[in-house]
Amino acid sequence: MTFRRKLLAVFALTVFLSVGAVAWLVLALTRNAFEKTEDQRTAALVAQFQREFDRRGEEVAKRVAAIAASDSVSRMATALNGTTTESAEYFELAKSMAETYQLEFLEFLDEHGTIISSAQWPAKFGYPEAAFEGLSAASDQSAFLEREELQDSTGLGLLAVRETRISEHPVYVIGGRRLDKNFLSALDLPADMRVLLYQNRSDHFSSDALLDPSGNGPDPARPANKLAPLIDEVRQHNQEMTASVSWSSDQGDDELFHAIPLRGAGKDRPLLGILLVGNSRRSYVELKRRITGSALLVGGGGTILAILLSSWAAARVTRPVEQLARAAEDVAAGHWDARVEVSGSDEVAQLGISFNRMTAELLAQRERLVQTERVAAWRELARRLAHELKNPLFPLQLTVENLIRARTQIPDQFDEVFRESSSTLLAELSNLKTIISRFSEFSKMPHPQLQTVQVNEILRGVVKLVDAQLHAPGREPIACRLELDERLPEIAADPDLLHRALSNLVLNAMDAMPNAGALTLRTRREDGKIVIEVADTGSGLTPEECARIFTPYYTSKQHGTGLGLAIVQSVVTDHGGRISVRSEPGRGTTFVIELPDNRGAMQKGPAEQSTGGNVGQIHG
Amino acid sequence: MKRFGWRWFVVNSMVVSVLVATSAANAETRPQYGGVLHVAMHASPTSLDPADRAQPESFARHSLTMLMFDTLVTVDENGHVQPSLATSWQALAGGQRGQLRIRRGVKFNDGTPLTPEIAASSLRAANPSWNVAADADSVVIDISDQNLLEQLALPRNAIAKRTADNRPIGTGPFHIVDWQPGKKLALAAEDNCWRGRPFLDAVEIEMGRGFREQMTALQLGKADLVEVAPEQTHRVSLDGRRLVSSNPIELWALVFTRAVASADEKLLRDALASSVERGSMRSVLLQGAGQPTASLLPNWMSGYGFVFPADADLTRARHAREQVRTIPTWTVGYDGTDLLARVLVERIALNAKDAGLWLQPTSTTKADLRLVRIPLVSSDPWIALAGVATLAGISAVKNPGGSVEDLYASENALLAMQRVIPLLHLPVSYASSPTLKNWGLRPDGSWALADAWLGIDKP
Repeated sequence: MTFRRKLLAVFALTVFLSVGAVAWLVLALTRNAFEKTEDQRTAALVAQFQREFDRRGEEVAKRVAAIAASDSVSRMATALNGTTTESAEYFELAKSMAETYQLEFLEFLDEHGTIISSAQWPAKFGYPEAAFEGLSAASDQSAFLEREELQDSTGLGLLAVRETRISEHPVYVIGGRRLDKNFLSALDLPADMRVLLYQNRSDHFSSDALLDPSGNGPDPARPANKLAPLIDEVRQHNQEMTASVSWSSDQGDDELFHAIPLRGAGKDRPLLGILLVGNSRRSYVELKRRITGSALLVGGGGTILAILLSSWAAARVTRPVEQLARAAEDVAAGHWDARVEVSGSDEVAQLGISFNRMTAELLAQRERLVQTERVAAWRELARRLAHELKNPLFPLQLTVENLIRARTQIPDQFDEVFRESSSTLLAELSNLKTIISRFSEFSKMPHPQLQTVQVNEILRGVVKLVDAQLHAPGREPIACRLELDERLPEIAADPDLLHRALSNLVLNAMDAMPNAGALTLRTRREDGKIVIEVADTGSGLTPEECARIFTPYYTSKQHGTGLGLAIVQSVVTDHGGRISVRSEPGRGTTFVIELPDNRGAMQKGPAEQSTGGNVGQIHG
Repeated sequence: MKRFGWRWFVVNSMVVSVLVATSAANAETRPQYGGVLHVAMHASPTSLDPADRAQPESFARHSLTMLMFDTLVTVDENGHVQPSLATSWQALAGGQRGQLRIRRGVKFNDGTPLTPEIAASSLRAANPSWNVAADADSVVIDISDQNLLEQLALPRNAIAKRTADNRPIGTGPFHIVDWQPGKKLALAAEDNCWRGRPFLDAVEIEMGRGFREQMTALQLGKADLVEVAPEQTHRVSLDGRRLVSSNPIELWALVFTRAVASADEKLLRDALASSVERGSMRSVLLQGAGQPTASLLPNWMSGYGFVFPADADLTRARHAREQVRTIPTWTVGYDGTDLLARVLVERIALNAKDAGLWLQPTSTTKADLRLVRIPLVSSDPWIALAGVATLAGISAVKNPGGSVEDLYASENALLAMQRVIPLLHLPVSYASSPTLKNWGLRPDGSWALADAWLGIDKP
């Protein structure tokens, strides 16, 4: 990944994470605020319910007390006086008085708890009131919650008990109002809130026992049985509970319900009902959606903006760095005159100035080095020339001096001496000529003329050429082995130069095995390159020899010029390849040539074909 | 002189006072012509045709019929058959046929004379299964029913002449002036009635009025004759109103909509019948009105009604119920507009619950059993029993007109079918204003207003 991309990624990630963190923080704060508001609203509604409960309780208690003190009830208590013989006459009294005093529940009981008259269940006259003992104990107390059994159901009522005692036989008046939809409807509900009442009639949840003042019957969209788990929890633990109820796949329909147990009077305080205060989550969910949407929008937009801005900023920052990188690559490629444009005065500009100064210094040093190497090369050349020329010159000098001495000292043998000396002179002159021609040849190394060649074929041609010498009489035989990869592709190369280089290596190998041995020629494809190995089993080279073996005029042979391997290296380099040697004294030497699969170079122009120098600068 | 004058003044004053009192008494007891009688009733009949069987049987309908129509014979309060449009009758063909001689000179309200043909046609319309023929001055009915005359006394067999538009016209003391079906009926006195013109000039009847509404109308002087709900009779009598009640001629009973299907169901029906506290229903819900009963016919009619025990027997009920494993919930239907019926059904459900039975009161028409009021259409026990059986959906009573033992056997057989659980026998009661004089009820519970008149109300 480039520095610019890294910079872009860092900028975008930073913006995205920042927006995400802010959104999360806002959401968390919003949720806390909503929960706090919900708690406050629920508490307010519960307080309102309690106030309404108390207010109605007082009202009920007053009405029941008024009924108990009424003339009708007093007359009834007087007439009955502990008997039931005349009770039929008062069968409808509870109903008429309940209508008068606007009570839904009203019963008159005798001292034994037998119903004299009942407004809510007229047919129950003469039957005992099941909860008589508890109710009679609550006489003169404030109103309380009680479960009232009806003909076809049970209902919750806010009841009060009063006693009418004319003689020693009291009549109990039990009256109250129903805790029903009307009661709940009287509550002033805030928006998005509703209140339900579950009447705890049996051990199992029943949707019929759920009163919803806002509805006119079961709402198929909000089935009551979804509240069953919460109600069961409250019944099990007999304490307040909170739970979220999902009515549909839309989270906006969710409601958070606070369930508050409503207990009756008495020691046991039985759980008679459960008040369910529902808070709609719609406003919270919608706000959450808006925040999330805004965060995504801002985050996305911010990220895009950050990418654009960071692209611009990164370009400003990285462009000089990239220029420096390219310039450094140019320097590495040998273009020591590479320069970078410097603008501004920041650290990057300072780096550019330093780079330019460095390359200028490197260029100057290279010039100096070239001069030095050139002088050294000339000196080496002079030394070699002197050395090479000195060897044949010394016999020439001796032969001429011998001729001069034979002319003066032994004129009669002069002819013979002259003849012998002439042949010597010619031989040495020939030797000089050879030396000069080799130097001339080295200086005239031609540029490769590329064409499609098969390396294996060239190797076979070399072996064919030297085959006679491998088995020449008077020479220890050398075994030649070809291990060629027949799947090698053709490459672009100069077949003559390649043949010459490989011939040099094969001849060197043969020279290294004067006492027989094995010559192995291998080819293979490796990492997209063509690898050629020429291995012998000769005496091998020392590490020092390996290090210097490609240096011109260096030779380990007694009569070598030191130019053979230099020529080989020159040819390989001109083909864009590289040559190396691995050897171990006494175990032979292997030269390894790696040539690029440069068939594409065939389509390029002549100028581009001769890019070996450049390549050679990289690998040579 | 002074002394004589004082004595003379006292004697004359006493004579005048006696004369005035005597005159006033004569004015109160002497019938007076004129006046419009205002009547209110709960029923809302939509047809005045006595032969229209689509109309439910009710005492109000009987009353209306007998204001406008006459039957061939009537039954007096002693159960004896009396002549009406027929002056005499005799059995023919060994009792297989009855011949009734038609009264001469009787005219319908439109002036048409009553003929045996019209009478025969009217009877055929009311009884399609009868073979009725006119014969000179009589009608001959080919029927072997021993209670033929009692049946002819039923209001549904009143003689009516039907006009071209099928409007019935009778020979009764009143004729129709205005008829708004189910709402109002205005009748005017028939001047040429064969029995003589009634004292009342007209009768206006408001229909579909609740019992409370009727009583309020009576108290306000807007009605002269109203119905009284059974549970209100005690209070009305305490209030000093003039109250007229019939014999218990209405049976309140639970009627199952289908026959017993299994032995278990038979046990459960027996348990239900044994669990009902009829006594408390009468004493509390009906405020003492009526008579608890476990028989179909009232004791005054059959003479053996006391044989059927009407008291609740919870032990028997529980024993019967415990023999059944699966207890169904029966729905008990009642008339939703009748508050008393609702309380009665709820009470029955409570009683049943004590026995371990489950009853669900409902005001819908579809129910396993219903609380029904069955009017006993005749004081003849056989006809009354047949009427109960018909309304309960049971096949007709066999061998009608037999001895008391046969009657008991027939009733017992009907009860054994367990389609009907008798609860109470109730009278029909009416309250009238003090100005309505000389009126009463026939044995079948219908009004007898032909001789009634309106007097001057005392302040």
